[in-house]
Amino acid sequence: MKRQDLIDLFSKTAAEVTEREFPPIVEATVIAELGIDSLGMLEIIGSLERELKIHIPDENLATISTIKELIDEVELRAAS
Amino acid sequence: MTHPRHTLNEAIRALSSDTKRGFSFVRSEGGERTFSFAEIATEAGRRASALHDAGLRAGDRVVLIVPEPQDFVLAFLGAVAGGLVPVPMFPPFAARDLRVFEDGVEHVSRISGAKARITTASLDLKLAPLAAKDAAPVITTESLAAHGHVAELADVSPDSLAFLQFTSGSTSRPKGVMVSHGNLAANAKAFMHEGLRSDPAIDHGVSWLPLFHDMGLIGFVVGPLFADVPVTFIPTATFVRRPLIWLETITKKRGTITYAPNFAYELVAKRLKPTDTAALDLSSLRHAGCGAEPISASTLRTFADKLAPAGFNPKVYLPSYGMAESTLAVTFGGFQRGVRVDVVSAKELEKGRASEAKPQAEDDRALDIVCCGGPFAGHQIAIWGEDRAVRPDGVVGHIVIRGPSVCAGYFGDAERTAATFSQTGASCSGTGVADGGWLRTGDLGYMKDGELYVCGREKDLIIVRGRNYYPSDIEWAVSEVDGVRKGAVVAFSVRGEGSSPSVATSTPTTSGERLIVAAEAATSDPAALRAEIVRVLLERFSLSAESVELLSPSGLPRTSSGKLQRAKTKDLYRTGDLPRLRSERSEPRSVTPETP
Repeated sequence: MKRQDLIDLFSKTAAEVTEREFPPIVEATVIAELGIDSLGMLEIIGSLERELKIHIPDENLATISTIKELIDEVELRAAS
Repeated sequence: MTHPRHTLNEAIRALSSDTKRGFSFVRSEGGERTFSFAEIATEAGRRASALHDAGLRAGDRVVLIVPEPQDFVLAFLGAVAGGLVPVPMFPPFAARDLRVFEDGVEHVSRISGAKARITTASLDLKLAPLAAKDAAPVITTESLAAHGHVAELADVSPDSLAFLQFTSGSTSRPKGVMVSHGNLAANAKAFMHEGLRSDPAIDHGVSWLPLFHDMGLIGFVVGPLFADVPVTFIPTATFVRRPLIWLETITKKRGTITYAPNFAYELVAKRLKPTDTAALDLSSLRHAGCGAEPISASTLRTFADKLAPAGFNPKVYLPSYGMAESTLAVTFGGFQRGVRVDVVSAKELEKGRASEAKPQAEDDRALDIVCCGGPFAGHQIAIWGEDRAVRPDGVVGHIVIRGPSVCAGYFGDAERTAATFSQTGASCSGTGVADGGWLRTGDLGYMKDGELYVCGREKDLIIVRGRNYYPSDIEWAVSEVDGVRKGAVVAFSVRGEGSSPSVATSTPTTSGERLIVAAEAATSDPAALRAEIVRVLLERFSLSAESVELLSPSGLPRTSSGKLQRAKTKDLYRTGDLPRLRSERSEPRSVTPETP
């Protein structure tokens, strides 16, 4: 999957989980500014993990703050 | 087995030859690991020995920040087995938490006078900035597990401190409840034997509840150790990632006992697809407990309806009331009696009376108050008025409790201990005997026929013109307005005149309290949304808000576990620091109260 596809998947999943619409999400987007709380974020991650058949350790999630960092982590997990 | 179990260490010792039953831990990376109770006892002894070798001694406090249930439970029991006092803390979930988290660890570490911090090697790396703030040495769970020697379990007495339970408390800074071994033994006996009538031959617990919280830790680790009940633990984060794993695990393990807060039943019901139920079998459940936050009868009905095809029987619902200050459980709603509600008039409840709702009354509405049951043997509940005299059935007042589950107080906090624990009531019905030893729960409720009905928290109560409003009711109503983020509303009151520097045009009301509503919103027309909220408040409660604050998403402060913080919201309001919607920033924020 290309990085843009991953961003699109994130946007789609975020909208489904939170039942909200978001302004366009880009790599520089700061996740906290999307107004998704930690439970919602974990649910989105869970959905991405199932879709992409990966697992992101909780500890790694703790230091992710932008969409770029999230995509980096997803690519790293998908490659391993 | 007839070993005495007056302490948790005696309970662990009593199970040390049980190689059949035990704890199973689902791992967040996949897979599962089972430890028999005999292995648990050995592993606890191993960790106790490692902690002693690290220089820690009986009574020393150790902060515990461990995300995986397996590592957490073994480290917790290891510390207890060694006579130490573990101080469990929540692990960080997301980047935003990390900053809040470091403050929290520092605060808890300082209050508890912790001598060390137990965490995982990888989490320790992430928490590197913490080392500058909190100098306590770090011991990794990996080093505990690799230790070569197994210590005898320390001899402790029922009066010995077992651990500090820090409450996340939505109203104040966290407080460390001192839970003794005697408290654990008394409460475990009450809820496992009397409340759940647990039976080692048939019971199996399934829990994803956080282990830094009393319901997860005492309910599913400590209680089952006192009652020989096997349990399967799911990491909380794994449940949140995929809520269905909870029901799948119950199905797979033929689980009989599970517990969750109201929100989890709601989340699962929401995420469940009709096709999901075919693979589920919940007919093994004997108890589906609900506690830790206000219980909504309608949420539980929705869950039961959706899971009926999977064999879920609503009779197994067990509405429960409890708190960390009383170890865990205070009352259970009745053995396999499901959710029972008292249908009362909202109007009468505002005046402090639980009277039957009259459906024909136009200016009233019916409220379902869930029955939480009566006290356990050896424990007492009373409802006090402001004068500390016991109130009669059906009259709302302060819930106070006493008995062997009630803890001694907050660690190192004499002031707040004195304000909450060991309270004395007005002399008992003319006998002149002082009535002491009560814990003020901080909750409001009433008794009916020996059973407790909880209405809300006393500190958050909003009193306008002599009438009581429960913030949760107002929040619920505002939350239903289109454009407001569901569940993201805080209602509170401010007192006196001009307490908020931001209010420009309020009509001075009485010297009493004035209602402020803060709601996270997504709207292109804030004025219309505010007008609609004002309309709903007037229509439903005959209340005019002094101010309706529309906030950007995540604008409301929350605790680590995601609970909204009313007191903090109020503080931010007072200082003018609530993050308002961008489109709102140039507009006046107050609304003119209308008198109905």
